[in-house]
Amino acid sequence: MFLQQMINGITVGGSYALIALGYTMVYGILRIVNFAHGDVFMMGSFFGLFCMQFLGMPYYVAFPIAAIATAIMGIIMERVAYRPIRTADSLTVMISALGVSTFLGNLAMVLWGSGTHAFSNFSGITVSVYRFDNVVLSNIQIGFIVLSVLLMLALYFVVNKTKIGIAMRATSHNIKTAKLMGINTDRIISFTFGIGSALACVAGLLVGIYYDAVYPLIGYSYGLKAFAAAVLGGIGSIPGAMLGGFIMGIVETLGASYISAGYRDAFAFAILIIVLIFRPAGILGKKEIDKV
Amino acid sequence: MNRKIQQFVFEHKKMVIPIAALLLLGLPFFVTNSYFLHILIMVCIYICLALSLNLVTGYAGQLVLGHAAFYGIGAYAGALLMLKLQVNFFVALLLSAAITGLFGFLLGMPALRLRGDYLAIVTLGFGEIVRLVFVNWKGLTRGPAGLPGIPSPQIFGFTISGRTEFYYLALILALFTIFFMVKLINSGVGMAMQTVKNDEIAAEAIGIQPRKYKIMAFVISSAFAGMIGCFFASYLSYISPTAFVYNTSMTILTMAVLGGLGSIMGSILGASILVIVPEMLRFLNDYRMLIFGALMVFMMIFKPEGFWGAGKRRRNIYKINSEVPDHGSNS
Amino acid sequence: MKKSMATLLSGFMLVGSLFAFGCGSAKSDVIKVGVAVPLTGASAEDGNAIKNGVNLAVKEINAKGGINNKKVELVITDDKGDPSEAATVANKLAQDKSVLAIVGHFNSSCTLAAAPIYNQAGVVSVSPGSSAAAVTKAGPYTFRVITTDAVQGASLMDWAVKDLGYKNIAVLYENTDYGTGLAEVVTKAAGNLNAKIVAEEAYEVGATDFSTALTKVANAKADVIIVGGLYNETALIAKQKNNFGLEKMQIMGVDAIYSDALLKLGGSAAEGIKMTGYFSEVSKDPVSQNFVAKYNEEYKKAPSTYAAYGYDAALVIFESIKNAGTDRKAIGDFMSKLKDLKGATGVNTFDENGDVVKQPLRLIIKDGKFVVTQK
Repeated sequence: MFLQQMINGITVGGSYALIALGYTMVYGILRIVNFAHGDVFMMGSFFGLFCMQFLGMPYYVAFPIAAIATAIMGIIMERVAYRPIRTADSLTVMISALGVSTFLGNLAMVLWGSGTHAFSNFSGITVSVYRFDNVVLSNIQIGFIVLSVLLMLALYFVVNKTKIGIAMRATSHNIKTAKLMGINTDRIISFTFGIGSALACVAGLLVGIYYDAVYPLIGYSYGLKAFAAAVLGGIGSIPGAMLGGFIMGIVETLGASYISAGYRDAFAFAILIIVLIFRPAGILGKKEIDKV
Repeated sequence: MNRKIQQFVFEHKKMVIPIAALLLLGLPFFVTNSYFLHILIMVCIYICLALSLNLVTGYAGQLVLGHAAFYGIGAYAGALLMLKLQVNFFVALLLSAAITGLFGFLLGMPALRLRGDYLAIVTLGFGEIVRLVFVNWKGLTRGPAGLPGIPSPQIFGFTISGRTEFYYLALILALFTIFFMVKLINSGVGMAMQTVKNDEIAAEAIGIQPRKYKIMAFVISSAFAGMIGCFFASYLSYISPTAFVYNTSMTILTMAVLGGLGSIMGSILGASILVIVPEMLRFLNDYRMLIFGALMVFMMIFKPEGFWGAGKRRRNIYKINSEVPDHGSNS
Repeated sequence: MKKSMATLLSGFMLVGSLFAFGCGSAKSDVIKVGVAVPLTGASAEDGNAIKNGVNLAVKEINAKGGINNKKVELVITDDKGDPSEAATVANKLAQDKSVLAIVGHFNSSCTLAAAPIYNQAGVVSVSPGSSAAAVTKAGPYTFRVITTDAVQGASLMDWAVKDLGYKNIAVLYENTDYGTGLAEVVTKAAGNLNAKIVAEEAYEVGATDFSTALTKVANAKADVIIVGGLYNETALIAKQKNNFGLEKMQIMGVDAIYSDALLKLGGSAAEGIKMTGYFSEVSKDPVSQNFVAKYNEEYKKAPSTYAAYGYDAALVIFESIKNAGTDRKAIGDFMSKLKDLKGATGVNTFDENGDVVKQPLRLIIKDGKFVVTQK
């Protein structure tokens, strides 16, 4: 059973990792926690559902379109709710983020109702299962893990080996200097939000297919756990977010399995609190010094 | 016309306050509508909650996102004391406040090492963990089934029953909270808290210990939330974990923000408006949280000090020298 | 200065507006019945189903001229599935003397929060969805047309253990008053019947990932899964169990899982799920059939269990008003003695605690439909 639970944990962890990437990138650049990111994840899966259910697209068309739509939504969100208050103190920004999160979550409820929707009715994807000993693996699980890792590697490549990646890293290092160097920081910030949102959308679609369920309030729980994962790995660090996501998934699954299922969500928060208290920089993060 | 009214009120402050007091006290005599009284009682409860959150977030500058947890701890503590140990309501009131204050201390101690956003997340996590304990520790709290049959307050053989009597009790608690907060803010302690909020390092430089005042804020804030939680438990005679969810924390925060963080009058009005207006606009119920969310964003962009907030613009909040927040290793 | 002006104005506005509250003019030519259910929030689907059921009953009776020649009018309120809100709407309905009775609430916690208020005001409430044990003692004015968890749970376990011979039971239940209550009943019954509980896993409402729980169930070699929850999660459990080699695992539940949504969400995985229930679309009972037909016509979809309970709650109230008149207390007295009222969920008779006494049917999903089964 342990091995099976590990696989379960890694799968769940993959989704946390993808969402965590968005948190970490935005934090790296703007030093704000985008509370609404979990809801972006949720909207992403709903966009996908919408494309498949009402526009009748097959899944390989619907998914890229949903990703683009989510990216655009992320960019708009930044423009409307974060850019005007970029100079304000962090309390103000956090409250605004909370407002966006509340808004998106309830918007989804108004648009699609609070009930659960199934993906499989529309996506045309069927599940097949492979068995080894007493470990079971489904094709979706495999696809999930593989896709998550591929996307993360792609992101890593973009950030570390491309020009725009350099611009992103420069901006996250020091916005003022980046600007002085001729980088259009506004555009980079928009780009960051866009990519983060698109990744969250993919996570949403994968979750929607794997569990065959999507509903408006799913963003809250995933968002919080993914944030915990980002912090665990070291917020601001991309490899940290990936690592944190998988660890979080595994710990949560093993905890729910061997300790108590009812407290499942509590494990994520407990990890979060412990990490923040004893090692706020996270596993791969750097210590930051507050300047006077 | 405006000026004249303003002047009138200002000059006759001594008269206006007693008249307002009389109105509040005499209300139940010409309004026997129990629904109306229930709403007023809820207003009083939320005034206490908003004020307590305002103390720690508005005055001490610590964003607490799990405030409903303290409300819940007070409610469960009070309920269990009254149900299992037959403690008198008024004693339970004090004990709940104390117990919740203790939890405030336990949360505050480690949390204070953290910066703003991290602190907020930790308090959110705390709020969730507390809620999950309410749900899962069935031996103590009966879990989701909740605790029914919580007794009404009794004093000198007289039992409080009926909306009117509960209203007076709620009013007393709310007035006490307001009075306490006003006195606290205007005292040395209050000033110290605000100094810490504005510039922690400078505060330290002039001899104010930030940790001490932040912890005080946490403890007092949670104690008041716990106190009113105990009242809530007795008033409804039934509590269950669903009353203490994230949404409740968000609602309280919205009230404090709407009114203006750092303003007592603001919290009072914010709480009143956000209890009464949704009731009046029940047909907009589906959109209530939607509106709250949009409202928060709107407020932060256009009126971050709230509608009744401390109007003084503090220079340090908006960094005049740079367009974007300064961070990084080289300036 | 401007601020205190604003403050003053707001103050007056607020106080003034409050007087607009609950001034319910008692029109004597209509009969008002309150409805207090969750129309928003997590239980919104079921709350709306109840509302639909009640609306249908009102339409029917008004088409026949109303009760004692007065038309029935509903006062619909939303308790959001939250006990504090429930108390607020209870206050609102209780103090409006023209409201003669209330259909509500859905969640047991809401019924329990509202009960003291209704009982103090002396107005009856009939719950179409609260099955928790504590509601029995909630007061003389608190009734329900749904049986307690104890009844359905015990009946289900009799079926599973005595008739079907399952010995190793896995219980998956939602972490709410409903789920935990049902889980307790199942555990107790298992003890009495010499069956073993080999796995007991809680899940949060809205959980999508059952892999952990299902892995444990597979590991524990359970031979049946009993679900203490609603249709959304049951559907997901049914679908996901296949990922863990549990294709043949039997899933059983109580009437809470009876819903079109289970069929839609579960698809082919839902085939073979068994449940106890009081209401089934394919029941031969004329009242049920009439209800199903009318519901389909009006709402273009099939009714769920709770819609049927809502309908029955309304019927019970109408019958009481018809016989007892418009005095709230008289209505309460009559209702406590109500016997043998035929509804969509069976024959309604109240015991001395206001709990209804009924025997459940056994249902199974076959070929994508719910049918009555003997085994």
